[in-house]
Amino acid sequence: MKYDVIIGLEIHIQLKTQSKMFCSCSTDYFGKDPNTLTCPVCTGMPGTLPIPNKRAIELCILMGLATDCAIDQSIKFDRKHYFYPDLPKGYQISQYDEPLCKNGYVMIREDDRTEKIEIERIHQEEDVAKSHHIVDPTTGLEYSLIDYNKAGIPLMEIVSKPVIRSAADARLYAARIRQIARYLDISDADMEKGQMRCEPNVSIQLPGTWKYNDGKILPAEKSNKSDKAAKLNPKVEIKNIGSITAVEKSIDYEIEWMSRELENGNELEQQTRGWNAHTGETEFQRTKESAEDYRYFKEPDIPIINVSTSNVDTIGEQLVKLPSERENNYIEKLSLTPYDACVIADDRANSEFFDELVSKVSEEISGDLSEAAKLSANWLTGIIFAYMNDSGKKITDINLRLEDLAHIIAEVQAGKANNQKAKKLVRKALETDGNLGELYESANTQVISDVDELETIAKKVINANEKAAQDFKSGKQNAIGFLIGQIMKESKGNADPNKAREVLIKLLES
Amino acid sequence: MKVDKDFIKHIANLAKIRLSKEQIDKFTPQMKTILDSADVLQNFDSEKIPQKRYNTLEFEQLRDDKPAASQSQEEALRNAPYNEKGFVKVPGGVIDN
Repeated sequence: MKYDVIIGLEIHIQLKTQSKMFCSCSTDYFGKDPNTLTCPVCTGMPGTLPIPNKRAIELCILMGLATDCAIDQSIKFDRKHYFYPDLPKGYQISQYDEPLCKNGYVMIREDDRTEKIEIERIHQEEDVAKSHHIVDPTTGLEYSLIDYNKAGIPLMEIVSKPVIRSAADARLYAARIRQIARYLDISDADMEKGQMRCEPNVSIQLPGTWKYNDGKILPAEKSNKSDKAAKLNPKVEIKNIGSITAVEKSIDYEIEWMSRELENGNELEQQTRGWNAHTGETEFQRTKESAEDYRYFKEPDIPIINVSTSNVDTIGEQLVKLPSERENNYIEKLSLTPYDACVIADDRANSEFFDELVSKVSEEISGDLSEAAKLSANWLTGIIFAYMNDSGKKITDINLRLEDLAHIIAEVQAGKANNQKAKKLVRKALETDGNLGELYESANTQVISDVDELETIAKKVINANEKAAQDFKSGKQNAIGFLIGQIMKESKGNADPNKAREVLIKLLES
Repeated sequence: MKVDKDFIKHIANLAKIRLSKEQIDKFTPQMKTILDSADVLQNFDSEKIPQKRYNTLEFEQLRDDKPAASQSQEEALRNAPYNEKGFVKVPGGVIDN
C-alpha cells in the first residue's frame, strides 16, 4: 500500500430506556403503527418544553466511565440546525462544544496484537424519524413517508480520534464498542434494527505528508522553504452501514476507490458516500455540510444540569468486569489462547457461565485452574456453542447444572467416561432440557479398560473376522484399525481404544 | 457579514429551497438589511452589564424514565398537510438517505 490510511469512526447507539430523551413517549417503537408514539414535544410543536430523561444521561455517563472518559459535571445541550423532514423541530438537540464524556479509550485485540483506540468524545442527543422513500409507479413522482415514532429516542454518539489505521481495526473497534454497550445493558446495539450505526470517515495520505497532533490530522511541516505547502487529501464519510463486517468492507472499498482516483490524477473532494450492501460499493450522497452550517447554539429550553461527584459514583456502581479485562485474565491467568479468550469474553453471560464452570471443574480435578479452563473452554465453545448455534438459544436459556457438567468433564478427562458418549448425553440434556446428572447416572458411559473384559471382546472379534486377523499377522498393519473398530462396535463404544489396541496386538502376536 | 448572491444561494441550498434568479436578486438586499440590524445588537457594549447566570437543574430534578401515553395517530397527523397510511407525506428529494 502506497498510502497511509487514516480512519475515525462515529458510532451512534440508541440508549435502552423506556421513554424518549425529552418527553415521556414510549421508546418501544419496533413494529408499531406509524406516528402512534408521538406528543407535542417530540413533534416540535411551538410552546412545548423538553425535559431530559435521567436514565438516558446515566447510561451515557456509564459508557463514558467504561471507556475511561472524563465526565462533564455541568451538562450543556445545544441546538444543531438542519432542514430535513425527519427532524420535526428544524433542529436536533445535541451537544456541540461540551460533550458529556471526553478523552477516553478502548483496547482492541486480534490474536496477540492489542491496540489502544482513543475516544475523543461521547455526547448525548436524540434520534430522528424514520423515512421511507417512494416513487409513484404511475406518475414517477418521488415522495417520502415519515414515521415520527423513532424521533426523540435517546441516542449517544461516540467519536473516535482519527487513530485507526486499517479497515480491520475499525471493525474490531466497532465490535468492542458494541460489546461494552451490551455488557452494561446500555443498549442491545442491534445494527439490523438500527440501534447502532457506524459512520467511518476515511482518508489516505502519502507517508510523510501528514502528522497526528492532539486528535487532529495536520499537514507535515515543510522540510525546507522551497517545498510546496503540503495539502492533505480530504476525507470521505461513509453512511448506511448495516453490520460490523460492512464496516470493514466499506472502508476497504473506499480506500481502493480513493487510491485509484489519485493514481488517475483526479482530485478527491470531501463528501458523504452511502454503502450499498447489495453491490458492495459506496455511492455519492452529498458534499458534507460544515459545522458552521449547522448554526449551533446553546439550547435555551434546557438549563445547565449539575451532576455531582456522588451522582457519578452511584452510576459507576453499575460497572461490571469488561470484555478486555476478561480477555486479559483468560490469557494471562488461565493460559487460554487469545482466540478462545476473545470468543468466550465476547458475551457477558457466556463469560460468566465459563467462569463458574472453570471453578466447578477445578474442584473436580483438584484445583488446576489452567487445566480446568482449557477443558471448560473446549466443552463450552464446542458442544454448548454448537447447540446454541443450532437452536438459536442463549446461554441464559440453558438449564444445565454446572456441577453435573463439571463432573462429566472431569470423568472424561480421567479416562473414566467415554468422550463421544458423554458429549451426546450433554447434547441430549440440552435438547430435552433434561437433568444431566440423572441422564449420566442411568446411561452406560463407563469406559471398559479392564484387560480381561477387553480380551473376551477381542477374542470374539478375531473369531468373527479371521481374514482381517490373518492380514495383520502377515504384515498388514492397517488391518488393526478395522479390528479396533469392531471392538468399539461390540462394546457399544465403551471400550478404551488404546487399551483395546494393546490387548488385540498381544492376542494376535501370541 | 458579507451578504452576496452566493451567500443567499448557500442558505437556500441548506434549506432545500429552489430560488429563481429574480428571487435571489430581490432577497439579497433584504437579507443584508436584516443581518445589518442584527449587527447593531452585536456592536452593543455589554461589558458593564452584570452577567446573569443561566438557571441550572440538579441531576435529581431530571425526569424519571417512565413512559406515558402518546397522542393518537389521528392527532399526530392533524397538522400535516398530506398523509398516507398513517405516515406524514412530504415531497421527495429532500432527504439524502
